[in-house]
Amino acid sequence: MTEQTTSSAPPKMAARHVNVFYGDKQAIRDVSIEIDNDHVIAFIGPSGCGKSTFLRTLNRMNDTVAGARVEGDITLDGENIYDPSMDVVQLRARVGMVFQKPNPFPKSIYDNIAYGPRIHGLANSKADLDVIVESALRRAGLWDEVKDRLKDSGTALSGGQQQRLCIGRAIAVEPEVILMDEPCSALDPIATAKIEELIHELRGRYAIAIVTHNMQQAARVSQRTAFFHLGTLVEYGVTSEIFTNPREDRTKDYITGRYG
Amino acid sequence: MTSPPPDETLTRRIPTDWKGQAMQRRIAARYRAERRFRLIGLASILLSAGFLAFLLVSMLGNGLSGFTRTEIAVKFDFPRAPMVVDPAMLEGGNADQVLAGANLPVVTAQAANAALGEGGDALISSNAWLTVRDAIRDDPSILQREAVLSLPASADIDLAAKSQGTAQAEAAYARLKQGGHVSRAINMPFLTASDATDPTQVGIWGAFKGSLLTMLVTLLLSFPVGVLAALYLEEYAPRNRWTDMIEVSINNLAAVPSIIFGLLGLAVFLNMMHLPRSAPLVGGLTMALMTMPVIVIAGRNAIKAVPPSIRDAALGIGASPVQVVFHHVLPLALPGIMTGTIIGMARALGETAPLLMIGMRAFIASPPGGVTDPATVLPVQIFLWSDEISKGFVEKTSAAIIVLLLFLLGMNSIAIYLRNKFEKRW
Amino acid sequence: MSGTAITILIIGLGLIAWLSARARALRLAHAGRASPPSAPSPAPEARPRGPLLHSLPSYHGWYAAIWVAVPALLFLTVWTSLMPGLVTDRVLQDPAAATLPQDAFSRGAILSEGRAIAQGKAAAAFDPRSNAFVEPYREAQRFYSIGGGVIALLLAFAGGAYAFTRIRPDFRARTRVERLVMLGLLIASLIAIITTVGIVASLLWESIRFFSLVNPVDFLFGTKWSPQSAALGYGNENAFGAVPLFWGTIFIGAIIAMAVAIPLGLMSAIYLTQYARPAARKWLKPILEVLAGVPTVVYGYFAALTIAPAMRDFAVSIGISSASSESALAAGLVMGVMIIPFVSSMADDSISSVPQAMRDGSLAMGATTSETIRQVLLPAALPGVVGGVLLAVSRAIGETMIVVMAAGLAANLTLNPFASVTTVTTQIVQLLTGDQEFDSAKTLAAFALGLVLFIVTLLLNIVALQVVKRYREAYE
Repeated sequence: MTEQTTSSAPPKMAARHVNVFYGDKQAIRDVSIEIDNDHVIAFIGPSGCGKSTFLRTLNRMNDTVAGARVEGDITLDGENIYDPSMDVVQLRARVGMVFQKPNPFPKSIYDNIAYGPRIHGLANSKADLDVIVESALRRAGLWDEVKDRLKDSGTALSGGQQQRLCIGRAIAVEPEVILMDEPCSALDPIATAKIEELIHELRGRYAIAIVTHNMQQAARVSQRTAFFHLGTLVEYGVTSEIFTNPREDRTKDYITGRYG
Repeated sequence: MTSPPPDETLTRRIPTDWKGQAMQRRIAARYRAERRFRLIGLASILLSAGFLAFLLVSMLGNGLSGFTRTEIAVKFDFPRAPMVVDPAMLEGGNADQVLAGANLPVVTAQAANAALGEGGDALISSNAWLTVRDAIRDDPSILQREAVLSLPASADIDLAAKSQGTAQAEAAYARLKQGGHVSRAINMPFLTASDATDPTQVGIWGAFKGSLLTMLVTLLLSFPVGVLAALYLEEYAPRNRWTDMIEVSINNLAAVPSIIFGLLGLAVFLNMMHLPRSAPLVGGLTMALMTMPVIVIAGRNAIKAVPPSIRDAALGIGASPVQVVFHHVLPLALPGIMTGTIIGMARALGETAPLLMIGMRAFIASPPGGVTDPATVLPVQIFLWSDEISKGFVEKTSAAIIVLLLFLLGMNSIAIYLRNKFEKRW
Repeated sequence: MSGTAITILIIGLGLIAWLSARARALRLAHAGRASPPSAPSPAPEARPRGPLLHSLPSYHGWYAAIWVAVPALLFLTVWTSLMPGLVTDRVLQDPAAATLPQDAFSRGAILSEGRAIAQGKAAAAFDPRSNAFVEPYREAQRFYSIGGGVIALLLAFAGGAYAFTRIRPDFRARTRVERLVMLGLLIASLIAIITTVGIVASLLWESIRFFSLVNPVDFLFGTKWSPQSAALGYGNENAFGAVPLFWGTIFIGAIIAMAVAIPLGLMSAIYLTQYARPAARKWLKPILEVLAGVPTVVYGYFAALTIAPAMRDFAVSIGISSASSESALAAGLVMGVMIIPFVSSMADDSISSVPQAMRDGSLAMGATTSETIRQVLLPAALPGVVGGVLLAVSRAIGETMIVVMAAGLAANLTLNPFASVTTVTTQIVQLLTGDQEFDSAKTLAAFALGLVLFIVTLLLNIVALQVVKRYREAYE
């Protein structure tokens, strides 16, 4: 299956010359990257190289860390998301996030999914909300397993189910972009396979960026791959090319397992 | 896992209009709610801190004047005074006794009347003759000449000087002031005297010494027992029902209201063992029972913080379990234990109710000599003075509170200093 | 010979025992190694190896010192508490005792006067009959103190002799001493249980005596509290109905104080954990802790001096004429301020221990901080917060000085916060101060009140700790 190397449509999110500082320490150095609507992009690299930090700049979650400073240009649909006029609350609804360790709220399954729509006022009636919850659970591939026990606590599910619940929770507010920070690293292989299948199905509707330090997973789920090393973007391109014929030596060393 | 069914109603959803009017209004309302919430949080803290500030400022405002007293300058013509004192007899150590028989009160009253007009002796304190006595004792040569001594004013005049007196007293004070007789001075006897009926003569030393003696007994009893119990529970106790019961007992004791300890002290120490009522010994015993659980809990935390590697190393060179604990673990845990002990003692210092129960509410006019003499403690003294009707006691009570708070501040500062200086981060 | 002198003597003997036992151990050890004077000294490699003694000489010293001092001192302690009883018995055997009056009160008074004069604490007797007992008391006192002293010294010497005979080079002194040390540690820990047992026992004992005079049901459910009239013998109706006291305690401690402490404490904790900068939190948190460190008598005085009159003026200005200068509102307000740190500290701990991931998850969905707190963090931290509130209530209802100084003594069953009410703790203080016979129903009522207070606070603490424990398990 051949992939087009460039999309004709403008990128959903674009980062230009981004630098991130924690206090005096620089964590991200001059990174420029694009996230498109039809592609899943994987961020790979050894531990501590800044992949998660960069991911968190895309929905301004670094704002919650004291002493963090972001320089550069990051746009969503052409609008700079760090502009003071950009509403963070709205941004985070349009750019959803799934975390490494599943973090369902200590509420019922229904209330977990309904949390986002409730606070943003996306449903006019209980019936509307029911539809939204069912739709999100279906799309997350969890509906058949939990449809009889929506009142049960979200924390009573298995690890894989909890992560799918979190994905459903993110989907429920109809984001345009979904960021995933090592979503499978806390899960067993069977649950991981289910999540990867889910990513494949979600590909068309949402722009997805996934951080992973499992290279095989990156090769399986993504169409574009970006290799980070010590806070810089070393190489970025089509996944199949990165893994079979990388341009940079550092990339080649990482992929063949020389380090990391 | 099943794939989502091709259901039109589910896949077709009106995309959220983030820029629309309704949504913008809603978001604005949410931000307003956020600001309000944050402000309420800030206001709560400021209000709480404000209460504290209000209390402290109020005490300072009322009490600072308690450290000063009004003095009236009176001329004494000693050669012509109706007193017989042989200056030679003042050489020995019993000058006070000699002067006690020297008719000083009458001399003082006469001098006051002469200097301040008729009724002048009512304007000075009833104890003013003690000041005269001290002046003669310090410098017997004044007996040969005239001297101007600053005598403490009476309670009414002192109040008037602090703008709280009756109309009559205020008038008298105004006259004195015009005549240039009055001055303000530091009220030293406040720090050296004991309880009295006249508010200008009261002092906190009696109560303070009682507090010190009580604290001493408390420390001597609760510290060893508390530390040893903490060591046992942390290092040696096997996990069985008995040790669980001990742990539960200690945790519960730490939360029992202090007045219950007072009841215990009354029933056991006074009625069963017939120990002397209102003595620092009994007070210390009662407070020790109250402070011991605090020391045990602080001790256990300090001992828990010592890493197991230290114990392993000591055992590895052949130390016995007792030697491991006493030579290695205890010295390392000691700073934490001391901090906890000081905090526990500070709490005991401020306790009033249990000591009321064991009888420390009597009028004690002289400092206790030992731990078995009747005594009172500073918080109880404050309580007793707060009941007094005469207005002069308001400032004295507040001044005593200032002393108590300063002392507690000192103790807590030492505890924090110890904690910061010696706390090792493993 | 006074008790202090004997104690010092015994400690001195212990010190001597320590030194001599240590010396003896050293001597024995070296004696065992001495070679015959005629033989040449063996070469260093040929000298016998191994420790000379099993334990360090100082352990032998401690062994002897403990055997000398501890039995004797223990005996002295027991003897001192038994002595008053023994002395009184001996005095009563004196022929003068036959002249004592029949009723216990006068007997007791005369005997104590005699005792006081004999001990030099009183100069002369009010009741001339007491003079007859001065000499018997002196004699009995002398007899028993000398007897006790002699026995103590005998015990000390016996212990010393026993210890000395055991000293040998292979004597495991250190093991023995350490076993005794462990015993000491165990006894120290048992003191905690003994104290709890002591509290319960003394409260129960006196309360049972009270309930033999007053019906427990009347006590727990009666609404009229006037112990004064009971003591003076007016009327036959129940004067020990404690319901107004329970109500006053709940009104001030659980209602008014909590109405102040819970909002302020909870919102302060929320601000400190979620909004405050770390630098500000570092010195704002200790300021809240200071509120808990101020002695309650200071709070009480402040309440009586400043707050209560202000409350009364306020009440009068809004038209409530029955306001008194000792009001539930003044006491409750100040108590609430004192309790703030208890609520805020527990709430702070609970909210901080909610995993950060949960907060991030909510923020990442576009929720504001206040929405996150209200809908995710607080529900998650709720058990800990509830536990903190229960502990705070327990502290508030056990508080004495603030209510004694600011709330008054009138046993009112009223909903008016400007009126004066009384609490359980105030009445305990009131009933037990002043001169009363210890057996009257009035003083025993204080113990019954104490028992109720102890049980209620104990239950609250147990429930609170259970709630917090179960919550901690959920997050670990």
